[in-house]
Amino acid sequence: MNYIAKQIRGSRSFFCLAGLMTLLILSSIASPDFRTLDNMITILRQASTLLILSTGLTAVIITGGMDLSVGATSAFIGCVCAQFLKIGVPVAAILPIGLLIGAAVGALNGFLVSVVGLPAFVATYATNWVVKGMSIIVMNGAVIFGLPEGFTWFGTGYIGYIPVISVIALIVVVIAYFLLQKTTWGRDIYAYGSNAEAARYSAVNVYKTVFGAFMLCSMSAAVGGLLMTARLNAAEAAMGDAYGLQTVAAVVVGGTSMLGGEGGVSGTVIGAILLTVIVNIMNLLGIPSSAQPMVVGGVIITMVLVDSASRRRDETVSKKSRNLLKTPQKGEVV
Amino acid sequence: MDTILTAHGISKLFPGVKALDSVDFDLRAGEVHILVGENGAGKSTLSKCLLGAYIPEEGEIVFQGETMHFQSARDALEKGIAAVYQEFTLVPYLNVAQNIFLNREYKTKLGLTDHKRMEQEARALLKTLNCDYINVTQMVKKLSVAQQQMVEIAKALSFRPRVIIFDEPTATLSEREICSLFEQIHKLKAAGIGIVYVSHRMQEFARIGDRITILRDGKKIATVGIYEKTSEQLVNMMVGRDISQVYHRSENQRGGIALKTTALCDKAGRVKNVNIHVRHGEIVGVAGLVGAGRTELAKLIFGIDPIASGTLEIDGKQLTGKHTPLRMVKYNVGMVCEDRKRQGLALKDSIAWNIMAVSLRRYFPRQFINHKKMYGICGEYRKKFRIASPDIYRPCRLLSGGNQQKVVLAKWLSNNPEIIIFDEPTRGIDVGAKMEIYALMDQLAVEGKAILMISSELPEVIGMSDRIYVMYNGSIVNECVRGSGDFNAEAIGAMMLGIKEGSCCEC
Repeated sequence: MNYIAKQIRGSRSFFCLAGLMTLLILSSIASPDFRTLDNMITILRQASTLLILSTGLTAVIITGGMDLSVGATSAFIGCVCAQFLKIGVPVAAILPIGLLIGAAVGALNGFLVSVVGLPAFVATYATNWVVKGMSIIVMNGAVIFGLPEGFTWFGTGYIGYIPVISVIALIVVVIAYFLLQKTTWGRDIYAYGSNAEAARYSAVNVYKTVFGAFMLCSMSAAVGGLLMTARLNAAEAAMGDAYGLQTVAAVVVGGTSMLGGEGGVSGTVIGAILLTVIVNIMNLLGIPSSAQPMVVGGVIITMVLVDSASRRRDETVSKKSRNLLKTPQKGEVV
Repeated sequence: MDTILTAHGISKLFPGVKALDSVDFDLRAGEVHILVGENGAGKSTLSKCLLGAYIPEEGEIVFQGETMHFQSARDALEKGIAAVYQEFTLVPYLNVAQNIFLNREYKTKLGLTDHKRMEQEARALLKTLNCDYINVTQMVKKLSVAQQQMVEIAKALSFRPRVIIFDEPTATLSEREICSLFEQIHKLKAAGIGIVYVSHRMQEFARIGDRITILRDGKKIATVGIYEKTSEQLVNMMVGRDISQVYHRSENQRGGIALKTTALCDKAGRVKNVNIHVRHGEIVGVAGLVGAGRTELAKLIFGIDPIASGTLEIDGKQLTGKHTPLRMVKYNVGMVCEDRKRQGLALKDSIAWNIMAVSLRRYFPRQFINHKKMYGICGEYRKKFRIASPDIYRPCRLLSGGNQQKVVLAKWLSNNPEIIIFDEPTRGIDVGAKMEIYALMDQLAVEGKAILMISSELPEVIGMSDRIYVMYNGSIVNECVRGSGDFNAEAIGAMMLGIKEGSCCEC
């Protein structure tokens, strides 16, 4: 028990969780509309797409990399699959098709970064444009409406009170959490992000690690893109644009370090919800949409500042470790 | 001679280790005061406290009769204490003059950088050092190591210091370059500048030193005149015990040849035509100066760098196809590398994850990690290696050097390798941890593992090895077997320098 408590307190997302709690309490006080069940479910639903897109990105950022193509990839896959649905491809076949395309985009990113050796920032920014261009070609400038109900249900349906899209987000998060925390590949991602050179010396398969992270990222973007399309009951080339950097914000606010090696999907869950709650409460309070982006920016800066301050704190010699010096620990038993 | 710099009761703490424990030190004008001690004894830490790079927790520093409270190396520099560090502080892509006047460039009336004046002054400075052959407009990257060293000294002199601290300046220099450095030091001395000289090379002391201060485990042992003690006495003071107790070797049984290289060469020409072999149950040392190609050889064997030509055999089987660390680990080879912070550890990760970094795939071949089992295994290794930490969940960066090194060893040994390459296994760690590592290596040899040990500390190579290959300029120049006539520090030291007999000059 003590171990779990320590883990929570020591974890990077502790401040993020504290921030989210504070925000929830303040919002509940400020607006009676905020604390209704309906609004909570709305927040859950709104946060789900962002969360799915950010979950895979978390793995890439833990390797010390970056993927700026998440938004464009999700839109591309949404567009392609909408076209497939239009020509009568069954709904059951859509998810495998989407995941396959996602894996291909991820493999391209992984190839550019780990084999060619381009900086991830540049490589994925370029991929972003390539993929976006392909969506425009696929859509030929048009917007597709009216998708089959069996498909749109995934975006708009409910299971009891819970939106289907949130259930899927939960499944994606659990899978990613399991991969990152409970498999040797997940550990390699952390090891590589923490010190790439040491990972190489420790016989980590660098290609498998980096390729895997980018593929996981683009595959979660695929799931997100499909759900986005299902929820809108429409597809257009520009629909992922807003998510390009918002996903990065969700991951970083959730306590995952841009330097790599630290963080995790549990933090990203909190980060995605936090960003959604901020917009939600601002709408409820009637803050004009023109002022909202500034507030969001301010909140991101604050969260990252608090986080890096907390990290600097344990760099310096704490009182505890000074005491350690006085009593030798050699040969001490567990 | 007047005392110009005094330090009283200096203490400095690092996470997990007391690097300095109320050390006193004094320096007179016009003397060379040598600071000596083993790795981790506190030499560099003390010199960094003197020049303001570290702020000591306790104690005071008096410079020219005034108590100083340096907040940074810049403060000390402005007061007149300059330093020439072990690692160069030059910017490789700027030229010599720009480096010397970095951050305090002369300005023209228009506020632009006055390159002409900087170049003139730089030329004048280098001339006082007899180094006018160095072109001040040359990019530093293109200079040799020794020339860079001279630029460092010129930079230090440009501040017109009263005290200069040299931190292991000869570590990367050849004998001829060392001689010209010593000439410069003699000149500085004659000009009344006080010099603190940090080193652990005994053979240099008599050539330049006036007094020696011996440090051990962060404490000052004594300050003596250069001719007061013999070198054996100095070693005993440094190590604090008899050498034979430090390097203990048990009886061991030699087995078949575990590792063999034939005419091994790398692509950069830093390893040339190397033929070595290591038997099971044998500790083989590789001695040589920094830059002789020892680390490059280790990297070549372990698959970090590509082999240009030559072959590698493991247990009699020649290695073909892809040659990567991943593959070498499958062949039961391990490598404790030279720079544990850069290549050995993920400092942000916990002790446990670092211990498991290699063996995770062996313990969990199906790729699913059982955390309980894993932490159990790590706990055992913490106990076995006596890693001084209350738990295994804390990040490795909070550990002292010796404990970090133990984590690196645990990382490799938990994978149960048959062949282990140790590259500088005891660099920068305290004597206690050193002895534990020596005992461990001895035990591994008894268990029949093949060990290749690379070290720049001659006593360590001679103390631990059954056989020593001496490397010079990329090639193996000699092989010495324990018990033979040339298995001693003088003979091997001379081979390392690439000379057969005596020294090349008298300073």
